[in-house]
Order: sequence, then C-alpha cells, then structure tokens
Amino acid sequence: MLFNSYSFIFAFLPVVLLGYFAASRLGKLAPVIWLALASLVFYSFSNWQFVALLLASIGFNYLIGWLLISHHLRAGPRLAVLSAGVAGDLFALGIFKYAGFLVANFNAVFSTSLAVNILLPVGISFYTFTQIAFLVDAYRGKVARYALPHYALFVTYFPHLIAGPILHHRDMIPQFESSDSKRPSPHLILCGLIIFGVGLFKKTGLADGIQSLVALAFNQAAPSFDQAWIGALAYTFQLYFDFSGYSDMAIGISLMFGIFLPLNFNSPYKAASIIDFWRRWHMSLSQFLRDYLYIPLGGNRHGALLRYVNLMITMLLGGLWHGAAWTFVAWGALHGVYLCINHAWINYGPPIPRLLARPARIVAFLLTFLAVVIAWVFFRADSLTSALFVLSKMADPGQIVFGHTEMIQGALIAIYAAIAWLAPNTQAIMGYDHKNRRVGENFGAWRLRPWLVYGGALAFAFGILGIQQHSEFIYFRF
Amino acid sequence: MDKSIKDIFHFLCASLLVVVTAAALNFVVDPLQIFRPARLFTAMYSQDSRLQDAGLIRSQDFDTVFMGTSLAIQFRQSDIDRILGVKSLKLAMIGSSSREQAFVLAAALTRQPRRVIWEVDDWIFHDTPEIDANTHLPADLYRGNARGIAGYLLSGTVAREAAWIMARSIRPLEPAVARLTSEVLFKFSVFRVDDINTLQANEDVGATYNSKRAIAAFKYITDPVRAKYLKDDTDYDMKVRVFERDAITLIAANPDVTFDIYLPPYSILQWVALRDTSSETLKSVYAFSAYFCRRLMDFPNVRLFDFRSVRDVTHDLNNYSDVIHHSPAVDLKILSWLAEGKYRVDRAQPTVYLDRLTSQVESYRIEDKKR
Repeated sequence: MLFNSYSFIFAFLPVVLLGYFAASRLGKLAPVIWLALASLVFYSFSNWQFVALLLASIGFNYLIGWLLISHHLRAGPRLAVLSAGVAGDLFALGIFKYAGFLVANFNAVFSTSLAVNILLPVGISFYTFTQIAFLVDAYRGKVARYALPHYALFVTYFPHLIAGPILHHRDMIPQFESSDSKRPSPHLILCGLIIFGVGLFKKTGLADGIQSLVALAFNQAAPSFDQAWIGALAYTFQLYFDFSGYSDMAIGISLMFGIFLPLNFNSPYKAASIIDFWRRWHMSLSQFLRDYLYIPLGGNRHGALLRYVNLMITMLLGGLWHGAAWTFVAWGALHGVYLCINHAWINYGPPIPRLLARPARIVAFLLTFLAVVIAWVFFRADSLTSALFVLSKMADPGQIVFGHTEMIQGALIAIYAAIAWLAPNTQAIMGYDHKNRRVGENFGAWRLRPWLVYGGALAFAFGILGIQQHSEFIYFRF
Repeated sequence: MDKSIKDIFHFLCASLLVVVTAAALNFVVDPLQIFRPARLFTAMYSQDSRLQDAGLIRSQDFDTVFMGTSLAIQFRQSDIDRILGVKSLKLAMIGSSSREQAFVLAAALTRQPRRVIWEVDDWIFHDTPEIDANTHLPADLYRGNARGIAGYLLSGTVAREAAWIMARSIRPLEPAVARLTSEVLFKFSVFRVDDINTLQANEDVGATYNSKRAIAAFKYITDPVRAKYLKDDTDYDMKVRVFERDAITLIAANPDVTFDIYLPPYSILQWVALRDTSSETLKSVYAFSAYFCRRLMDFPNVRLFDFRSVRDVTHDLNNYSDVIHHSPAVDLKILSWLAEGKYRVDRAQPTVYLDRLTSQVESYRIEDKKR
C-alpha cells in the first residue's frame, strides 16, 4: 500500500488511528498489538507472499536477542550467537537481494547460463539493518529486555517499514512502551497532518511532476549536452523530493500516533562539502553505517591510511546496500573517493584566508552539488555503460539543442533548485525536534499559525490532487 | 474547544474546499470531454492518445475506428473520411501493445461503429502487464466507472489543463494564452481533432523521410551492440497466444463489425536487418505471419490486406524516416488501396503476399555505397 493512495489516506490511516486510540482503553498492550497487526496488514497489501519471511525474521532476531540479553552465556558462546544472528540476517538478505547479482557475475566470468529468479521482498534492507543493530547492541549489553509485541512493532511499524527511516530500538521501543503516546494529542495530530501534507505534496506535486524530464538523459538514444544535464538534474531533484517526501509523510503519520521518528533529511543540497552532505542525506542510514560498520572497522583510530580504507569499505557496502548492481557499487565508490578527498583536504589542504571564506564556501557548495549530481548518474543508470554514456554527453558541449522546449524545461529545473536551495525544510518550518520530542512548540503563540494551518491544508489538497496511479517511491526498490 | 482541534477542523475543511473546487473546475471545463462535448469552452486535445482516446470515444461521432501503432499515428481523419467515405475516429497509440489496442477498441465498440480499420504489426503481440497495471492508460476512465471518474475529477493535472483552457476561452486573454501554450507545460495543446498526432504544416517532409535516414537507422539497429534486440523476438508460441487472446477474442465477439486489418509496408531494410542479424527471428516472424493470415481467414467479418510486399513503396527508401515508419504520402496510398480493395488477402491462398515478401527479402542486396 502506498502513502500516496486514496485507500491509504481515506481508509487505512483513519481506521488504524481510531482503532489505536480506542484500543488504548483496553490497556497499554492492546494499542501496541493493534498497531503491529495493522502494520502487517499494510505490508501484506502488496507483499503478502513475504509476510511469512518478515515474521520469521522477527522471530529469529527476537530469539537471538533474547539469548544475548539473558546474560547466561559466557563471552565465547555470546560472540558465536551474535555471529549466527548477523550471519542469518545477512544470509536472508543475500539470498533475496544479491543471489541474482552473484549468479549474473558468475555467468559473465565463467560463461555459464545459470538462472536465478527471486523476487525482492520490499523493505528487506530496512528491516534487516534495523534488527542487526538490535543484535549488536544486545551483544554490547546496551539493550534492556523488550516484550515481543513491542519488538514486533518496532520492526513492522508501518510508517517506516518499507523505506525507512532506519529506526533504532533505543529510540523507538520506549516510545511504544510509554502511556503518553497512547492518548490522542490534538496538537500532535495537527502537526502530523501538516507534515504529512507537505510530504505528500513533495511526492505527488514535485517529484512526480519532474519525472518525465529524467527520460531526456536516461531513455534517449542520443541526448544532447543540455538534454543530458536537464535529465541528470531532474533526477537529482526527483530523488530528493521523492525520498524526503516519503520521510516527511512517515514522520507526519507517526506523529499522529504520538511517536517521534528520527529525521532522514536536512536540506542535503545546501551542503558545502561531501561530509556535510552525508550528515544531511538519508541521515538514518549514514548513522547506521557509521555506528555499525565504519566504527567497528576501526574508524579513524588507526591512522590516516586505514581511515581512508575504512571510508571506502563503508561507502562501497553502503552503495551495495541500495541494490545488487555494479552501478550502485560505482556510486558508493565515487562517494567514498569524495569523502577521502574531503578528509584529506581538511587535514592537508591550505587554510582559506578570511577574506576568501565566502567565495570559497560558494565554490565548495557548487563543487559538492556537482559531485553529487555526477554520482546520481550512476545511481539512476541501468548499467555502467549507460552511466558513462550519459556522463560523456554531459561533458560534450559540442551538441546543444536548447530550443523552446529545453528552455521551459530548464526554467522548471531552476524552480526546483530554488526550492531545494532556498526554502526552509519541513522540520525548520514545524520546529520538529526529534531528540527532545517537541514539535510546533511556538505554534500557539505564533502569529503565523493560520498560515501554517492553511498552507499545510493547501499542500495536502494539492498532494491529493497530484495522486497518480501506481506512483511508487523510488526507495521502495532498495 | 482546544485550539488544535479547531485547527484540525480548519485544516480538513480548507483541504476539502480546494479539492472540491478543483473537481468542480474539472467537471465544468471537462478537458477530455468525458461528460459532454465542449460547448462552454474551446475544445482542446492532447497528443497523448492513451489519455485522449478515452475522451474521444465519448465525445466524437464516428462509424469507423482507426487503430494501430506509430505506423498509423499520422493519418488524418479527414483523409480517411474523404477516401473511404466514412466518419472515422483515429485511436492509434504510439508503441501500443495488442492488449492496449484491444482494450481501447473494445471501449470504442460500445458506441457501435460499423467498421474497424486496424494496422497490425506482429510485434504488438507480446506479453504485457494487465491493463490495470498500465501506468500510461487510464483503464477505469475508459470503463467510465466510479474510480475512473473520481480519478479524473480529483486530478490536479486535469485541473491545471482546465484552468488553462478556461483562460484561453476568455477573449482578451486568448492570444496571450495561445502563445504561451506549449506541450511541455500543457498536454491539451491541439485545437482540432484532425491535427492530433499529425505532421505540422511547417514540417519539412523531405528532411524527415529520405533514404539517408532509412540507411542510418538500418546501420544503427544492425550494429552488433544493438542487434541483440532483434534476436529477442523469437517466441512464436507467446505471439500466437497473445494474438488469440487480444485480437481473435475481440473479432469473434463482434461479428457485426467489419475488421479491415492491414499489415503495413515497412521498408525492405527492416526485413533485411532481420535476415542479416537473426535468421531465427525472421523465421519466427514468417511462421507467425502465416498463422496470422490463415487464422483471420476463419472470420467472415475480417478483410485482410497485406502491403508488406508492395515493392514500389517498400524498396523506395525515400519513403521512410527509419526502417519502418513511412511518410504521409504512403498513408494516402494505403487509404487508396483499402478503398480499391488492392492487396487483399485471398481466403483460398492466405499466404501469397507473404511468399512474395519472402522471396523479395531473399533476393534483396544492399549496395556497398548504402552500407
């Protein structure tokens, strides 16, 4: 089921919301069970054949977690249990996500014709990572014992299940256990509606609105220089508005239930360095990769050289997490190289004179954006050949069309760029503070309150009017 | 009452107001003419035939339906009417599959036309997703069911087009709006039904259709890197199954409708490309073609025309913009042949024209200078 569908907005969400608050009269556990069941129903609408896999994954990880938390095991067996748990998770992920990729590469190398046709269960990358983090923390002794319904809800919670944000058990389960979240809060519901409306508009109005321009670069036999750039930039903004729209909608929905989800975006295209970009783009994934891959690998604790190696490994695996294809590996590798250069510049580059600080920042901002756009070409292309072809067109100003059509398309891109670069983001507008569980604190006193309410209503209405059939979120396929 | 509760109420009411206003605008202006032919506002049409056809079927008067792929997209209804003495409605869709064509034809046949003229390529018969999973064709709007109508009324894109058509209907604004109308921003940019997906008057036909372009296209598709796509088209059983499901079912269900089905005159280069890169594909296409011709002869309401071996056209590469797409001049020839009954397949010898094509393809040699 899609957030941007009439059935979700007008049927599923209101029913689940009413049921949740009604169930709270039956005790603290009833709303948790209700929400977990509703999440399974949500998942089964389009992925019914993988519900069993999801349940098996929850059961397996809960059992492993229980063994790790119980403290009855000595150090050696504990490590073995953790290894078995993580290996089990990665094995399932490998089978469903990477088996086809491995077989295709095997065929290419050994000229065989083995065939593997396995459907990718939606959300598997997200719920696998979420649970690996849980197991690792359980091993580190950072996890209290959780009841099974709370744990099941933590994994299946429908606002995040399909495309994140990647949740952390220490952030979420206490919220599910709290009594506060089970009482309807008109303030949180209002804020949730506004944030959901903004997210819906980002998805159906902005991301879907620019989708057709992407084909100029990626679905044409021979795009010109300007068409290749328009297509690449269109994808850059489509992906941002699509994924950040989804994340806003997830945060908004969750707020209506009184649950604060972590932020996933913080105006990433305003970044003035690649390090800064990764602090703003898909933040929950960046944090996961940092805490559960980069730091365990050694992070920056073993000298400069190993730091760069660790960065490269982290980004390569981060790329592969997005999809089983060499294009994603190339994308990850490119960002790994960018990060290494960025760190090297910080450590070894010349200091910028104060007088040049502002122009240098503008150059850094442009360079960062350019680097990100180039990397997105690999992310979007069907193959490395196709990516290199598009990039070759972007580097060849010999053929320029720039007719009436391209001018209008260029103007459209400029509007999107202006929104991404100049407009405040949703959390800034709404005063969303995930850490302190606050949102819209100044709402009551604010003279702009009617603007927010009616502006949000307008965004919500335009979002509804923009709903198209079958417009999936791009990150569903990861 | 809690201020937030009041604001939730305001939020929902304001949203509802905007949505209802847009729906009212869509209903009144009705850009696709789903509810009524355009009277209050200027009729405008879209080049997106998968969308536009849903409205045309409801708003136009016709006794003949013209269907096909890009090979049939540039025909003018006025030419069809003049040459064949009918009142036609062109519903051809670029790159359409037999599933899409059969679905749209079935919707058009509910208006009880007497005749269907159907341009058929063998490659339209391939497995495609269910019609309801087709993101480009609004199936429920064709069906006219509640979901389709609601989707139309609640569409912001339609509302934008409706507002634009409304502005264009206000006389002082008309020149400015007309100047700003561009297909990039607005889908409904065509004034007359006859102009939908036809060549513009200012188009240089000679520059679009010439042997240089045809040969360049031939070289492009036979390049070893891309030639593998030609080799994909060998699944005879799948084609037969899809042909039976889409075409035969429709023909059998409408015995009172005459189906004039024609196989278009591709340039000889199309066949030579298959001959030189994938003889397996060519064999499969011939085999399916033979089945196709024989099977259609079972139906008294079908008249089959095979233009694929009309040498004067197919061997003159100046008629083509690539290896298959022919010029508007050939469009007119096709209509004349249909009117005269030329190249009609004989029920007793359904593969005569196919045999002629086969020998033409075998004997054709590309001159070195063309390569």
